[in-house]
Amino acid sequence: MKTKSLVCGIGNPMLKDDRAGIEVAERIETSDLDVDVEIIYGVGFEVNDKLMGYDDVIIIDAAKVGYPPGTITEVTIDQIFTDHNLVTSHAVTLGSTLKVGYDLFPDEMPKKLRIVLIEAEDYFEFTKECSPKVMAAIAKVVDMITEHFSRGEVCPLH
Amino acid sequence: MKKIEINPMTRLEGHGKIAIFLDDNGNVDEAFFQVVEFRGFEKFLVGLPIEEVPRTVSTICGVCRGVHFTAAMKASDGVYGVQPTSTARKLRELFFNAHYVEDHAVILYALGFPDFVVGPSAPAAQRNVVGLINVVGAQLGREVLKKRGYAVKIFEMLGGKPNHPVAAIPGGWSKTLNEVEREQIEEWSHELIDLAKLTLKVFGDVVLNNPAYMELVTGDMYRVPVNYMGTTDADGMVALYDGTQKVVDVNGKEIASFTGMEYIDHISERVLPWTYLKMPYQKKIGWKGIVDGEGTSLYSVGPLARFNVAKGMSTPLANEEYKKFFATFGGKPVHNIMGYHWARAIELLHCSERCLELARDPEITSDDARAPLGEVTGEGVGIIEAPRGTLIHHYNTDEKGIVTDANIVVATTHNKGPINLAVRKAAKHFIKNGKVDEGILNHVEMAYRPYDLCLGCATHAIKPGSSPVEVKIYDQNKELLQSLRNF
Repeated sequence: MKTKSLVCGIGNPMLKDDRAGIEVAERIETSDLDVDVEIIYGVGFEVNDKLMGYDDVIIIDAAKVGYPPGTITEVTIDQIFTDHNLVTSHAVTLGSTLKVGYDLFPDEMPKKLRIVLIEAEDYFEFTKECSPKVMAAIAKVVDMITEHFSRGEVCPLH
Repeated sequence: MKKIEINPMTRLEGHGKIAIFLDDNGNVDEAFFQVVEFRGFEKFLVGLPIEEVPRTVSTICGVCRGVHFTAAMKASDGVYGVQPTSTARKLRELFFNAHYVEDHAVILYALGFPDFVVGPSAPAAQRNVVGLINVVGAQLGREVLKKRGYAVKIFEMLGGKPNHPVAAIPGGWSKTLNEVEREQIEEWSHELIDLAKLTLKVFGDVVLNNPAYMELVTGDMYRVPVNYMGTTDADGMVALYDGTQKVVDVNGKEIASFTGMEYIDHISERVLPWTYLKMPYQKKIGWKGIVDGEGTSLYSVGPLARFNVAKGMSTPLANEEYKKFFATFGGKPVHNIMGYHWARAIELLHCSERCLELARDPEITSDDARAPLGEVTGEGVGIIEAPRGTLIHHYNTDEKGIVTDANIVVATTHNKGPINLAVRKAAKHFIKNGKVDEGILNHVEMAYRPYDLCLGCATHAIKPGSSPVEVKIYDQNKELLQSLRNF
């Protein structure tokens, strides 16, 4: 049976580097890669609705962790889960959302899930153009995703 | 004087902080609800074609995306001098009511209920949606999330695009329904009604049947008597998509009624030096300060306000619950802000019933979903009841429909004054002789959660390892005495 694969870009399309995940998803959508693509503007429970039923999923989101802008990191759910106190502007953190999903729907959530973060430089300016360092990172992440789904292998991020 | 800060506040949308000032005896002298975030969306919209504005403003917030979309769409009708066809209006309403269900459900289960289900003094690490699931059980958690998901599916089917809608056109709605889709929505609507009934049962079992919680629900520590504003239909029932805006005073007497651009004659916004959020008040009463009670010009919006201005709900099951609500409190208006949570659960039922009604409407599958455009009028106002309260979008355009000026008044802005009063009242009640702990501070935070705050969110940033809640206590010379943080 064919593996059901998904690329999920998260962000705000109007805010400079916050749109990094969306930019990646849009590039994958227009590529020849045989995967489904979802673009989500929030990190609430609707994320789980999109993920359920897929086998192999890559989530891409912008982050402000403190690394140099454009740094690409891959994290686990446990690493982005602090606790379930809902303190972000989308009411629920991505870590909380995914943890709730796997706790309640273990059979329906993806067997394989990768979470890729792109360090943002500026996520306040209203523009559809990411900063140059983030743009460079976006291209690398697109290559990495293409590699992942083309060969079924995990390629190094750095 | 000591100063306590709760920064940022937890379980709301957007970032704000509470500053509490203690007197020399350790009792609360003053408390302020401050918004430290600045979005500037009104400037950003200038220069856009009005028909693009709904799709753009939906990015103001990842949660209440559909409400900004809907208000701006209604404003675009005004700019093009057109009214939607009957089918278009029904499709818009179906979309809007589904949006209400998914929004109210997440607000209740993730933001409001944990204080009651897990307990107001429980450790913060447990007082959240997962703690709630641990108490009520995974089966109920699965049921709630599954059923809420059907509302999201309706939202997406009608919005024409996953997650963020695109179907708005002036005078119409670009996504029509075929019979197969209609049947699917009808089936899902039954699930939504089940979700609402389940939610009211949870609220009844956990809160209404618990005397200690009912003290919080009906007690003075969470009672904020102000004026109320909401929208009603021609029969005086709660209206969410469209109607007449009504204002009642602290005694429940109607003091204003208006529609569209008339809002300017009734609402003024006062700029305060200590917050980015302007504080609206009833213009005809005049600015009276941040005070409640008889004569105040402050007003609340949202589920409780809608209940206070209306005569009932237009759907049968919700109307029965509406009557029970006021019977429990002993009449109108209800000033006990914990009533917001209950009213929200009843609205969840109302919107689910409306989804079913609209899905069964023979006109809903008609193709007549677009009215011919009129001349560009150069001005449009869209007023809706967002889940959090009255939302106003007002645009001026040039002769080509390009936005030259925008004014957006959101629910949390309307509620700014009452939120301040609620926080001050709770702080004065719970903080005595300088004794402050996590449980006490949560009782203060519980004073703003009923308002379902949204402080103009748009972005998010994952911050691994952090859960930024900070409390700072200063002495009368503003020197830091103690700093409490959980990150």
